[in-house]
Amino acid sequence: MDHSSLAGRIFRGIALAMVLVFFMFPIVWILLMSFQTNEQILRIPPRILFEPTLANYEALISGQLRTAAGNLQISFMRNLMNSFLLSSASVILALLLGVPAAYAFARFKFRLGETIAFTLLSFRFAPPLLVLLPLSLYYQQLGLNDTYFGIVWVYQLIALPLILWIVRGYFEDISPDIEHAYRLAGHSWREAFTRIAVPLAGPGIAAAGLLSFIFCWNNFVFALILASADKQPVTVGALAFVTASGIQYGQIAAAIVLSVTPTLLLALYAQRYLVEGLSLGAVKG
Amino acid sequence: MARLELKAVDKCFGAVSCAKGVSLTVEPGEIVAVFGPSGSGKTVLLRMIAGMFEPDDGDILVGGRSIVDAPPEQRGIGMAFQNFALFPHMSARDNIASGLRATGASDIAAKVTAMSRLLKIEHVLGHRPRELSNGQKQRTALARALIGNPEVLLLDDPLRNVDAKLRYEMRLELPSLLRRSSAAALYVTQDYREAMAIADRIAVLINGRLVQVARPEEIYARPASVAVARLFGDPSINLSEVSPVADQGRLTAAIAGTEIMLDRNERETSTRQRCWLGVRPDDVVVTRQNSGGAIPARVVAITPMHERAVLLLRFADGSEWLAAMAPEALEAGADEEVFVQFAPEAALLFDHASGERIGLPPRRQAA
Amino acid sequence: MSMAELVQTDAVPRRPKRRRGRLLPYLLSLPALLVCIAILVPFVTAAIYSLQRYRLNLPYLRGFIGVDNYIDFLSDPAFWNTLRISLVYTAVTVVAELLLGLGIALLLRRPTRFHNAVSIMLLLPLMTAPAIAALMWKLMTNPSFGILSYLVGLLGVHDFKWASDPSTALFTVVLVDVWVYTPFIMILLLAGLRSLPRQPFEAAALDGVPASFVFFRITLPMLAPYIITASLFRLLDSIQQFDIVYAMTQGGPGDRLMVFQVQAYLEFFQYTNVGRSAALLMILWLITNILSNIFIKNWLRLRARAHGHA
Repeated sequence: MDHSSLAGRIFRGIALAMVLVFFMFPIVWILLMSFQTNEQILRIPPRILFEPTLANYEALISGQLRTAAGNLQISFMRNLMNSFLLSSASVILALLLGVPAAYAFARFKFRLGETIAFTLLSFRFAPPLLVLLPLSLYYQQLGLNDTYFGIVWVYQLIALPLILWIVRGYFEDISPDIEHAYRLAGHSWREAFTRIAVPLAGPGIAAAGLLSFIFCWNNFVFALILASADKQPVTVGALAFVTASGIQYGQIAAAIVLSVTPTLLLALYAQRYLVEGLSLGAVKG
Repeated sequence: MARLELKAVDKCFGAVSCAKGVSLTVEPGEIVAVFGPSGSGKTVLLRMIAGMFEPDDGDILVGGRSIVDAPPEQRGIGMAFQNFALFPHMSARDNIASGLRATGASDIAAKVTAMSRLLKIEHVLGHRPRELSNGQKQRTALARALIGNPEVLLLDDPLRNVDAKLRYEMRLELPSLLRRSSAAALYVTQDYREAMAIADRIAVLINGRLVQVARPEEIYARPASVAVARLFGDPSINLSEVSPVADQGRLTAAIAGTEIMLDRNERETSTRQRCWLGVRPDDVVVTRQNSGGAIPARVVAITPMHERAVLLLRFADGSEWLAAMAPEALEAGADEEVFVQFAPEAALLFDHASGERIGLPPRRQAA
Repeated sequence: MSMAELVQTDAVPRRPKRRRGRLLPYLLSLPALLVCIAILVPFVTAAIYSLQRYRLNLPYLRGFIGVDNYIDFLSDPAFWNTLRISLVYTAVTVVAELLLGLGIALLLRRPTRFHNAVSIMLLLPLMTAPAIAALMWKLMTNPSFGILSYLVGLLGVHDFKWASDPSTALFTVVLVDVWVYTPFIMILLLAGLRSLPRQPFEAAALDGVPASFVFFRITLPMLAPYIITASLFRLLDSIQQFDIVYAMTQGGPGDRLMVFQVQAYLEFFQYTNVGRSAALLMILWLITNILSNIFIKNWLRLRARAHGHA
């Protein structure tokens, strides 16, 4: 609490520096690795200064991996595309499903609504495998295994509770009288919903959407169980890539950089809303 | 234009009853103030008319047609809210025009301009609600409620959240504004002065029941019950427990041991019953000399209030009354012994058990 | 529809209720309901599987065996290992992240531009996919070229094998978990700290109350709801940790890191023992369900406060 004493300041400065090094170093180091050749990476002692190369990224983007055993076809870019596709589709679906439901839960007090809202919330904290393992057997019977639709459907488990609970809070914060006034001015409830409630909850809807995107992108276990190679997102793909490429460390680093960049950029863009999103709307930043 | 009729409207929330057999008619062009203490069910009543709540029983008619089954947008109602309820993402102009747009009216721009000129908010039409002062917000909200020429106008304590100066201005402006529209207007307020200044008639609502519906001066002069008498007037009415005695055509009662003459017209007063005697502080006369039949009292304190001096008087039996008068009429200072009088016709008598007023004193002008 | 339902109406009407509009909230929440059912069906299925002898490779042996799967766990050292590892992992990560997160939040408490920049930077690990974070640390702890192996070598510790050595594997995955999730605790507590009313602190400063007293008697009690919510969040996620452990070691070396979900995953896919896997997950669910009930209570209280109707 003491801001004035010199010793206190020095202690705080050192502590903050250590915190920054611990949390930032891995990101910086992997970024540096991604611009190094395998020979540069394997050099002991490691050097901070080196001649950067884009070869790792070129190999990933072209899908041609040169190894000692010859050229290897890799589909990492396909994984990246899958991540974009799965996350965007999941968020769009979750918004279409979740925003009207969030509105219903905020505006109408009905028992079923509370039950649904809390069931989704409590399953946010249930072991995902508990649902996924039986689901994978169902999916095999239904032919949904290894389909984009099947994966997008289970991603609702991630995105829907988030959207429901954040957006619900925003709807609750809008005075119902504003909607009443709009209805009395001669508009149907549907118009009041689309032209008053949704625009006013806009920031919350955007925040919930961005966060859902990040969490869907970062998910690992759902796709691990339900998707095969050509439908896998980067999280699963990167692990498979490590196994396949063996000792191509530079390319692994580049793959890591490519797979985390979109979410990190989105996170920086949406950082204002992260506190709220991470606490499912319980804490406002 | 159409008349608004409430017929035996009932509404309760769980165990809490908010409206019990409320019946009321508002003629086109008439302003009726719904007045009552907070929690008496005023707002719920308004919201049933607007269609935000459904009555449990009874009917609501506009122009003879029941509207309880119509959605809010088809009821032909304009409403101003206590918290303004402006659309925060639209300019004042779009707020006002929203109703006209919904009905596809012509000449929207001209109508908005005319209405905003009337309400003196022309210069802020381009502003968003958060850029408006509370007064401008309320004027915008009123413009929005008035512009569609609704058959029924509902005003839910619209001056609650504006400052004192503006409230005063609006009290002067509102009646003529509302009358221009010739709508049947219901005006909810918790301020009896506002109700008296604005309304043609006042409907006093206590615990979900309408206890009196009458012209403002009538309610002031002849309140239906002790409760109504207490709600009107500031400082509030003085009440003393008395047992009037009829003797040789005269009616008397003892207050703090002093015999006081009451109005002779009080023929209906039974001498057997105990009553509340009420005298408004403005009707209390305080003198230094006893000119006969006055009650001795001591001035406990003097406070200024609304450009008047308010005296706290204590009688010999320890009961206290208030007297209000112009400061220049003030004869006595604090701690002085004085004598208290009032005109016989100024005294109101209420049944002790039911609180209902007894008799019909002649009509007097409201203070 | 009418707006009549916009506020709670449990009233028993004397006149027949009008039907119009009553269905609207149900229609609006129908999609969420469908998703809910889509979760509940497999959940119930899993509960049934856990009472069956059910092996994918021996389908003809499938049959109802009551709670035998659960009883078998009692005498199974692998189960006790899983339970122990999961609890140790959870306890160590949550305590470490809580202490570290609280410390960092206190360092960044004053909302200066620098502090805000630091707190935003610290979000990056949290926004990294945990599975990818595990890969990053795998690269850094590689015995032949990993920068961390090199650095501990400089400190005189040679042959430090990180995740591939049974004695340091837990430490290594905990390190990754701490790297990813400490910022979570940090930003929740920072938001909490910054939302605390100022008067008690100003009064304490005026009275010259010692800093330690202020911290333990004012700051911590006022921050308690945030600390409890953040910890329960982490507790619930940590006991179910899968991504980091699976990506780092797949539960190894040996059975050193066989936490619940990794064990259940392997039971299902490697040993194709659906019944046993389901029973294991049901036990995990039981634990998380108890925790999440406590959690939801705290969370609702904080939520009410954030929306100004506490």
